[in-house]
Amino acid sequence: MSDMTKKIGLFAIVAILIVLTGIMQSWNTALQILNMGLISAIMALGVNLQWGFAGLFNVGVMGFVALGGLATVLVSTDPIPEAWGAGGLRILLALVLGAATVVAAIQTYTRMSSGRARTGAMLAILALGFFVYRWVFDPAVAAVEAINPAAQGNIGGLGLPILFAWPVGGLLAAGAAWVIGKTALGLRSDYLAIATLGIAEIVIAVMKNEDWLARGVKNVIGLPRPVPYEIDLQANPAFVERATSLGLDATTASTLWVKLLYAVLFAIVLLILLWMSQRALHSPWGRLMRAIRDNEVAAEAMGKDVTRRHLQVFILGSAICGIAGAMMTTLDGQLTPGTYQPLRFTFLIWVMVIVGGSGNNIGAVLGGFLIWFLWVQVEPLGQVLMQLITMGMAEDSGLKAHLLDSTAHMRLLTMGLVLLLVLRFSPRGLIPEK
Amino acid sequence: MMDFLNAIVALSNFVLIPAIAYGSQLALGALGVTLIYGILRFSNFAHGDTMAFGTMVVVLFTWLFQSMGVSLGPLPTALLALPFGIAACALLVVGTDKMVYQFYRRQKAKPVILVIVSMGVMFIMNGLVRFIIGPNDQRFADGERFIISPREFKQMTGLREGLAIKSTQALTVVVAVIAVALLFWFLNRTRTGKSMRAYSDNEDLALLSGINPERVVLYTWLIVAALATVAGTLYGLDKTFKPFTYFQLLLPIFAAAIVGGLGSPLGAIAGGFVIAFSEVTITYAWKKVLGYLLPESLEPDGLVQLLSTDYKFAVSFAILVIVLLFKPTGLFKGKSV
Amino acid sequence: MTSNPYQDDRGNKDRTITKPGGGAMQAGTGTEHAMNTGDAFLIGDSMTGGYGKTGPDILHDCTIAVNKGEIAVIVGPNGAGKSTAMKATFGMLHLREGSVRLDGRDITDLTPQARVAEGMGFVPQTSNIFTSMTVEENLEMGAFIRTDDFSDTMAQVYDLFPILKEKRNQAAGELSGGQRQQVAVGRALMTQPKVLLLDEPTAGVSPIVMDELFDRIIEVARTGISILMVEQNARQALEIADKGYVLVQGRNAHTGTGKELLADPEVRQSFLGG
Repeated sequence: MSDMTKKIGLFAIVAILIVLTGIMQSWNTALQILNMGLISAIMALGVNLQWGFAGLFNVGVMGFVALGGLATVLVSTDPIPEAWGAGGLRILLALVLGAATVVAAIQTYTRMSSGRARTGAMLAILALGFFVYRWVFDPAVAAVEAINPAAQGNIGGLGLPILFAWPVGGLLAAGAAWVIGKTALGLRSDYLAIATLGIAEIVIAVMKNEDWLARGVKNVIGLPRPVPYEIDLQANPAFVERATSLGLDATTASTLWVKLLYAVLFAIVLLILLWMSQRALHSPWGRLMRAIRDNEVAAEAMGKDVTRRHLQVFILGSAICGIAGAMMTTLDGQLTPGTYQPLRFTFLIWVMVIVGGSGNNIGAVLGGFLIWFLWVQVEPLGQVLMQLITMGMAEDSGLKAHLLDSTAHMRLLTMGLVLLLVLRFSPRGLIPEK
Repeated sequence: MMDFLNAIVALSNFVLIPAIAYGSQLALGALGVTLIYGILRFSNFAHGDTMAFGTMVVVLFTWLFQSMGVSLGPLPTALLALPFGIAACALLVVGTDKMVYQFYRRQKAKPVILVIVSMGVMFIMNGLVRFIIGPNDQRFADGERFIISPREFKQMTGLREGLAIKSTQALTVVVAVIAVALLFWFLNRTRTGKSMRAYSDNEDLALLSGINPERVVLYTWLIVAALATVAGTLYGLDKTFKPFTYFQLLLPIFAAAIVGGLGSPLGAIAGGFVIAFSEVTITYAWKKVLGYLLPESLEPDGLVQLLSTDYKFAVSFAILVIVLLFKPTGLFKGKSV
Repeated sequence: MTSNPYQDDRGNKDRTITKPGGGAMQAGTGTEHAMNTGDAFLIGDSMTGGYGKTGPDILHDCTIAVNKGEIAVIVGPNGAGKSTAMKATFGMLHLREGSVRLDGRDITDLTPQARVAEGMGFVPQTSNIFTSMTVEENLEMGAFIRTDDFSDTMAQVYDLFPILKEKRNQAAGELSGGQRQQVAVGRALMTQPKVLLLDEPTAGVSPIVMDELFDRIIEVARTGISILMVEQNARQALEIADKGYVLVQGRNAHTGTGKELLADPEVRQSFLGG
């Protein structure tokens, strides 16, 4: 079997699985899987860039995805003038002061010669900066959060079309990645894993607690959409007519149409990013990246700045995760910081990359689709399995009830199993790097 | 003077005692991570879930004993269930090693492959625990709640501030001290313990000396299972048992192990306390303590909380970065560089 | 990319998740057809082979032998396969041809660990001590396979290297280069080996320390232990050698007693710098 037929075959299997879902369950479910599959594929592409190309171990994907989500709120919701009047500018000032403090501390560190004076000066700057920051920040936050807390209580967004949020999400994630990369990749040893693990938790903590930003755990719902609303479609006689001519009722047709439009949007983004990643992989830059990965010492000896390259690829990969995060929040139509969990948004993406094939963009995309399909379908399959297992048990048996209740957790078990099986029997993934 | 005493009591009650208990729990967890890192050469992402599994078995046995009416009087029944938890956890990790990790060792797989493998194990253990006991909070502490309750303390001393020492906190410290003492005795005084250190130090030379790596690995997993179960049970007794919380403990535990110096048991303990104390002090509202210490005119009107408790991860993380910037090998010179 | 997928870490060097420096030693395999040769105490007879099953041959029909209580030295230019020849006698090479025999017994197919149990001691060139453990613990670990009381052997080692006794509770990693080599040799002696293999024991130590180490090695040989060593300092090594092997490109180029080789004009010119 040639390489190409294998790839086509594997993607065909995924397509068949999704179509089967459409026939056996519902087309709505099938399209949902397709949409999230597209987004997962983009996330996997981002992680593959970091791990597959450069061997960077990013276990903070969740944080970048969440930053993308935050971008949708900051870009697309309407601005809240009262909040800006009450303290929005003051919050910005506080943030600038905070950043200035950190920069001043870093400058002190690099400019002054090491010794007690330097440590003292740095601590003084940090302590003073922190208190000034809190002094400016706290009242402003209280003022903003007091404005119509039931519906707003935040500074709102820019009121721009939500599609702008996608690149902005990428930029936010890239910014965070720059800070992390600068710190962690610059250390004598590589401490990226723990740094990303920590930052992801911090991002989520900020999003949960800073109500002024995006309402925290009170969530932002009803984000604007890049596609029409179902209700509007159903009210549109032309659409209803077209639907009836296809033999569909208007409600089903509208939900399908909306999902289809999303799918097209996502597919366009995926194709662009995939094309860019492929170009990058085969460009001199990509070759250098892999050369560094395969022999860092030799690359360094040839005068290549390894840390700088690592930083580049880390930022790019994270930005892609940010874009995917913004897309996902757009699809959901709401930002709910409480739902971001590392198992789902960091480690599951890793399963996708490993299963698909580290170092191979096409493989990562395949992994994204396949693993997402499994993630969704394991639950109903588990339900069926459990029903089979518990068939012989008494109706009122506690064990039966427990087993049936627990099928939701079979997802995690299955993902672990899939990962271990692939690592064991096909360690390079389904579509290996050439 | 009275104010000063009150301030000290408030400080101990809200900062020192909780931090010591939390620090002991982190230290035990970090010891497990650092041992695996030292001997098997990878960071075990499944460690939080290993702790959760051991604790889950302890919880189940505690319930069993409670339903049978067996108890330890003032001590929590969980202590009685602890050996069963350790045994079950040991079976699990040794079984995992034989079925999963051993293959990669034989292949001489690079450590980072083992890290990815441990992710898979993490998923499975996480699913297993949720499958068996569910994702919800479980309380399983029983026996006396306090050694000294705030009211007793106030009556005893006549101070305005009460001092509470929960029995679980005292228990945590006592058990942790015993566990650590046993571990260090084992590592430094016994032949097997020394062979483990030798293997961690120089694998090839250990082989040349006739040390059997599979035996070393087996002992490591057994010790890790015991440490993880003890750490998890103590944490659960002190707070509550919830699978997701245990998974999240991974961050402070890793931070503790790295701050101390990966691969160094002494460092893991130091790291655990450094992380615990910074988390508690930075997220504690100092209003009360300062209120006693400062003259009335200077008394703060805010809570004087440096960061809200939700940012405790940020604290472990910041400490980690600072330590790594200035001491890249960690406080106790681990094997990290 | 390497051929083994498990060896592919994509260049990841993240110290938070993985610990560097895992064991690199891999057991070689024998020829699986043993031969009967000579009657030296340890002999690597007509060895041909290289590292790994697919690796290129480094040794070509190379023979190294050492008699009981004697010192044999392998010298030669860089890349001649000196260390490789010695490692081959210790079972760390994939031998295609030839055999290794110890005291008349064929050990070609034994693993290095099994050879230790058979009475061979090996001191690698680098990483030959447990740096984080004390000197005494290093010696204890050397005696790990012994089930009997080894305090006598430890006393003998301390007699041989008095400085180690003085520093026995100090971490071995804190010692000077020469002292570390003493620990390394001492560790290998703890199994009471019948033959001791030393891979460049004087690499990186000062000339004075080197002389002292050679004196100690002679002392060890006098206790009846055969010594096979690889040396960079060919002249000094051949001076104390009962037997010398000059290897060139994995082949025996010259063989003789130490004195003979030192006197051989060709050897002098090519390898001893005139």
